[in-house]
Amino acid sequence: MISIRKTGKQALLLSAIAAITFTSCKKEDKVSTPIEDNPFVLSLAYQGSDGTFTYYTLPVNDVMSGTIKEEGEGIEQPGYYDFTQIEDNIYSIGGLDDVDLVNIRQDADGNLTEYGDISFANSLADLIKADANTLVGVEMRSSSDQIVFHTIDMGTVRISNTVNHKVTDITSLKGPNYAGMRVSGNYLYLSYYIGDPTTFATPTVDTAYVAVFKYPELSFETLIKETKIGSIGGFNIKSGLITDEKGDVYALSHMNPANGYSQSSDSTGMMKIKSGQTSFDEDYYFDIQAKSGGKNATHLVYLGNGKVFAEMNAEDVSAQSRWSDGPLETAIIDIYTQEITFVAGVPQHAGTGRRLPAVHTDGMVYLPVTHDDGDIYVYQIDPGKATAKKGAKIEANFVAGLFRL
Amino acid sequence: MGRKFVLLLFTLVSLISHSQSGNLSGKVLLDDGMPAAMAHVMLVGTKHATITDQNGKFSFEGVTKGDFTLQVSYVGMKNYWQQLHLPLNQPLNITLSNNEELLSDVTVAVKSVVRETEELPYAVTAIDAKPLQNLNLDVNQALNTVSGIRIMEKGGLGSKFTFTLNGFSGNQVKFFMDGIPMDHFGSSLSLNNLPINMIDRIEVYKGVVPVHLGSDALGGAVNIITNKKRNFLDLSYSYGSFNTHRSSLNTAYTSKSGFTTRAGLSHNYSDNNYTVLAPIRDFDEHRVVGEREVERFHDRYRSGSARLELGVVDKKFADDLLFGILASANDQQVQTGATMSSVYGGITQNSKSVIPTLRYSKTNLLPGLDVRLNSAYNFSESQIIDTLRGVTYNWLGDTAYTPGSNDGELQRTFTTLTDRSASAQLNANYTINPQHSLALNYSYNYFKRKSFDTENLDKPSNKFPRSLSKQIIGLSYQYDISEKWRAIAFGKLFMMNALTYKQLDFALETQRTEAVRNGKQNFGYGLATYFFITPKLQLKASYERTSRLPDPDEIFGDGLFVNANPDLKPEQSHNLNVGANYNTSLAKNHKINVEGSFVYRNATDLIYQIVKPSSPETSYGNVSKTRNLGVEGNFRYRFKELFHLGGNITFQDITDRADSIFNESYNNAGYQKNYQYGFRLPNTPYLFGNVNAGVSFKDVLAKRTTLGINYYFNFVEQYFLSWAELGSADTKKVIPRQNSHSIELTYSLQGGRYNIAFECRNFTDELLYDRFYLQKPGRAFYVKLRYALDY
Repeated sequence: MISIRKTGKQALLLSAIAAITFTSCKKEDKVSTPIEDNPFVLSLAYQGSDGTFTYYTLPVNDVMSGTIKEEGEGIEQPGYYDFTQIEDNIYSIGGLDDVDLVNIRQDADGNLTEYGDISFANSLADLIKADANTLVGVEMRSSSDQIVFHTIDMGTVRISNTVNHKVTDITSLKGPNYAGMRVSGNYLYLSYYIGDPTTFATPTVDTAYVAVFKYPELSFETLIKETKIGSIGGFNIKSGLITDEKGDVYALSHMNPANGYSQSSDSTGMMKIKSGQTSFDEDYYFDIQAKSGGKNATHLVYLGNGKVFAEMNAEDVSAQSRWSDGPLETAIIDIYTQEITFVAGVPQHAGTGRRLPAVHTDGMVYLPVTHDDGDIYVYQIDPGKATAKKGAKIEANFVAGLFRL
Repeated sequence: MGRKFVLLLFTLVSLISHSQSGNLSGKVLLDDGMPAAMAHVMLVGTKHATITDQNGKFSFEGVTKGDFTLQVSYVGMKNYWQQLHLPLNQPLNITLSNNEELLSDVTVAVKSVVRETEELPYAVTAIDAKPLQNLNLDVNQALNTVSGIRIMEKGGLGSKFTFTLNGFSGNQVKFFMDGIPMDHFGSSLSLNNLPINMIDRIEVYKGVVPVHLGSDALGGAVNIITNKKRNFLDLSYSYGSFNTHRSSLNTAYTSKSGFTTRAGLSHNYSDNNYTVLAPIRDFDEHRVVGEREVERFHDRYRSGSARLELGVVDKKFADDLLFGILASANDQQVQTGATMSSVYGGITQNSKSVIPTLRYSKTNLLPGLDVRLNSAYNFSESQIIDTLRGVTYNWLGDTAYTPGSNDGELQRTFTTLTDRSASAQLNANYTINPQHSLALNYSYNYFKRKSFDTENLDKPSNKFPRSLSKQIIGLSYQYDISEKWRAIAFGKLFMMNALTYKQLDFALETQRTEAVRNGKQNFGYGLATYFFITPKLQLKASYERTSRLPDPDEIFGDGLFVNANPDLKPEQSHNLNVGANYNTSLAKNHKINVEGSFVYRNATDLIYQIVKPSSPETSYGNVSKTRNLGVEGNFRYRFKELFHLGGNITFQDITDRADSIFNESYNNAGYQKNYQYGFRLPNTPYLFGNVNAGVSFKDVLAKRTTLGINYYFNFVEQYFLSWAELGSADTKKVIPRQNSHSIELTYSLQGGRYNIAFECRNFTDELLYDRFYLQKPGRAFYVKLRYALDY
């Protein structure tokens, strides 16, 4: 990302020019909407007719009525971006050319501002919270032979430590694709699935892999291999692992062609690694497909007390169209009791093939859903009742993030 | 295909040998010995009438024996009469004398070839390269002063550029050198390295492309016409900032018997080590620690080319019959990625081409029939090399090394593209009578590409060569309704046939490779007309319904991840230009030319690559629509030979007109509302202009010398990388307003034989950007020495 902060003096000059000259901008002067203390924030993606994307991150007070669109208030980021929220901070990962990590936070006046100047040469597969004041980011892609961890101080948004690992120290298979990452106790769990870097085919799907690193040292500890379930995670959706309040790590295998798999096995479902352990708990296996009537969970958001918000692929793997991330149905899963309750009132929809832009706040889950005609609406889902209410219409090509600060 | 053309040539030659009785030919010269192009020549009282070609030549065929009066007329010259007894054994040599009386008449001006071209009914701008030949220019810089054209460069000498004409760019605009399409010439023969000294003039056709340049251009064409003087020598060398050396040698020799040799050599070198304001990345902290002025350190550009043409001119069977060979090569270090945030220290690319050519032309092959054939075969090879492993550079030139890493700087590759292409253009012009004429064009293009990446042996494109053949037939009819009014109607037929291979059922047992063929055809048509309201005021209008045929990559993809789209249609556009041109002299010595035009483009089915966030797979589709409503204005003023002032301005409102965008991942239909409907296209200049002014003094310090001082100003209004309507002002990414000023001083001795020029470009040292966050050179100095001899 190339923001004004990088261009220093030039930026001042440009702003001055912009201020004193007529430009192509047809924007009318408008009064900024007053921003609540804890607004919803949307990162909206707009596609140009040349196929390129620009992202706008804007605060919204009400996501349950009216129409939400970018009208000259959002933080502009052209290129490719992934957005994630950690506590009261939104992080944009991506860029136009290089890869930056920018912290979007509310300033004293309540306005959203960009903060930080971290810049990577390669893409960051994910960014998670590791401890009270530390984030961990990982550089990982199937075409690279390096896995690089960065620890980041949340307050200063500066990198405090970087650790490189050769892929060959962990696996001889080519190449590991990021599936999910969690820190629990003294370990960092990094799950991956094997995908060919050139063809994106998945040549081996019969084993679940979780690499375990010591935290905070980030030294390689061991590789957990498990054949009771197959490959963990899917292309670009980053929800292969979740953790509960106890620190237990749950790994999800779906092998959905809709999420990039060129072949699948029947060994789908969920297993767990008990907090502080370096192997799967042989006593826990959740056969999601059997419990749901043949449907696989794809995207997960942990809500609490064993309850998980899930986007389930409605089709059997044999019927899914590859890379479609759909059709999805919304469900509430209890990973303790292994119950699945489908949510009424959310139409079947396709995902965006990205990190799920859902937010859990005030006991409700808010999820943007694309209707068949291409229109996007926010749905408010009550996980307790498994019901949904349709809210505001969003005028954007897709929603890259929905957050609550 | 080559064999067919040899056959065709023999047929033409044999046709000529059957029709050579009773000829009259000759050459018309002006009083200074220069050829009189476009002079009217007629045998009084017969149907034999013609105009001379660029070399002043004319010929009549099938003339009966007897006594005749030959009349030659040429603007600004006294009419010439001569009694002849035909047949004659030798060609005539006619020298016209100056008509002082007529010249002083302010209503008449001598029209150059450039002026004649500009008066064609098309929306055409002709750049006369002759006055520019003392300067350190390439073709791009000359073109960048034309209204409607913006050339967006990524950096210094040899850098990649995007040529835009009325908002069209890339392969929507076609380029020709002497009528030969440059589509597959390779980067070593490109607008950014052709020296101005090999060029006579450049013709820019906006929107409507005449049939003789048979092509499927969507938005116009540029034809570079090389120097066609029969006997000359032009030698130049320039040196300047950033260790830039450019030299060129161009020469031609024609013997009395008509044997001719044309040769050219050129060489460009620059370190391009200009200073930029760049973000400095700290490797340990993985952050941008600030911005510093740094020298570019990996941006060297080298190119060289050689041209040789041998043949005969002014023969009974041919005005020109020339065999030639063009050879060129370049290599280039790559300093940055799409913006200056990425900096590279090891990536390079290179290209080399060898292009044999054949040219034939004959006026009055049969009475009234002129024939021209241009053909070329192209061997070219280019490479992209990113083979440093585990190395990352920053703008200080420092590196970080990751032991054991095999990652390239951008993406490790050593890709070689091997291209073969053939092109042939046959033009026939038939003058039915002085008022009516027909022109027919047939053009054939064949292109085949193989690519191989030694660093990624499994790459699908390694296995799938692609080929494409295109045929275009154009027919136009010209009707001179009166001396003031000319109209041309034309139609074109475009046909293509493409072949590639596709892998099916990837990674399954049934995996197989199949050949895929695709054929398309389309029609185009148009009309161009001018009307002189007075001899000084010309009105012009031209319209074309054009098509651009898809490229093989667009139809077929790469065999795996860029999916084929057999339903891909040609891009189409309605192009309309309406303009007026006023030429006058206020008093005896003040000449003024004012030109204005309205530009309308309505392009549909524009092809773009569909990106899906959920998948690495893409394909090309016809979704985008744009409309351009623009105006262009030109102004030129000259006081004697002493002072001149000129300028132009372009405003183009190019808006997105697509109702939908296409992105399969959002829903099953793939189409979604285009929320930018009606918005101006982002990342596209919409207001720009140029001003130039100069003074010229004769006989300074010595006789037959000229001292010139010229000033150039270039302006582009600020524009945005993304839509103007979206995003908060403080986060918008802008391409700032550009104001660049250059000045040059030229001194010529002995009537232009020895020349020296000093130039200071961007003398106010502005930060210049054509592309978002890609800084161009600051202040730069150049000196150029040139020796020019016509003999």
